[in-house]
Amino acid sequence: MIKRLFIFLVLFLFAAMFYDLADNYQESTELSSLATRYVDKGPDELGAANLVTSVVVTYRGLDTLGEVTVLFLSAAVVGLLLGLMEKQAGNQSQKQDKTESSELVQTTVQYLLPIIFLLGAYIFLNGHLTPGGGFQGGAVIASGIVLLFLALPYARLRHALLSVLESLSGFAYVLVGIFGLVLAGGFLDNRFLPLGTYGELLSAGAIPLIYIFIGLKVGTELSVVLEHFKSDQQD
Amino acid sequence: MSEILGSLVILAGSVFLFAAGLGVLRMPDSYNRIQTGTKASTLGTILVLIGLGIYHPAWIGKLLLLIFFVLLTNPVSSHALARASHRRGVHKTRHTVVDKLHEAKTVKGAE
Repeated sequence: MIKRLFIFLVLFLFAAMFYDLADNYQESTELSSLATRYVDKGPDELGAANLVTSVVVTYRGLDTLGEVTVLFLSAAVVGLLLGLMEKQAGNQSQKQDKTESSELVQTTVQYLLPIIFLLGAYIFLNGHLTPGGGFQGGAVIASGIVLLFLALPYARLRHALLSVLESLSGFAYVLVGIFGLVLAGGFLDNRFLPLGTYGELLSAGAIPLIYIFIGLKVGTELSVVLEHFKSDQQD
Repeated sequence: MSEILGSLVILAGSVFLFAAGLGVLRMPDSYNRIQTGTKASTLGTILVLIGLGIYHPAWIGKLLLLIFFVLLTNPVSSHALARASHRRGVHKTRHTVVDKLHEAKTVKGAE
């Protein structure tokens, strides 16, 4: 009875809170001062055609570094926990019946996989020009890995190589940030490289460089996580 | 002229897409639903894309690429789905007469 009462109380409090929010809601008709600053000065200052990218990678670059760190930590913990479970279950070595998919699927995957990887690379290389960026490109690459595992359940990734690549990209990302601190205006400032022509592939200073590192890091990280989820057959 | 022609082709495509939706709703078992969904929606999508190409001739290159990917992925994914459900023993409708995949497996197992 008391428990029910509490539930109703909590529901009531939530309702009161959200009612207040909904009641006072006013649609903003103009940009806030910070947004105005970004929109007015962003293209000239940073040279990125995609304004969202210049906010995400440079103005709020520290937040992005935090997001990359969150992803890294979760990947590391997944690896740790699944590794422990594997060790416990490893002695019994229960081989699961994983049947390979049909020849049709395997052949298609062979032709599709390079195209998917190419698309992922395209997305993070053009992050400063078109929608998308390192995270999205990395996720596309990892989706290609899912396809590979679906077609060939016994496929194995080069674990060590991927880990090295992932660590190096993370390191390089921070290094680029420090270069910005030393050579330009602050941490993760992209202007220590020439800004180039607005709207070209090689422009916007260090933003493409940062997105390449983020893309590689996210792609390899998610692939390693996926393989951890898959690999219950240790040989 | 090209606008009317393109619109007609798009309309034809949407008829096929509608048929695909109807088939998914009405067909008796998963295998039939999969094949309706795949065949009709592949043709429907391709017709819609071709109609768009007639409507906007400038987009034709990209649209052809899209058609290529639809042709590549749609049948294969349905094939994989159907095989997976067959392996899991998803029920067939009682009107099913021929099951070649089952026959192939039993022949292989007998050898």
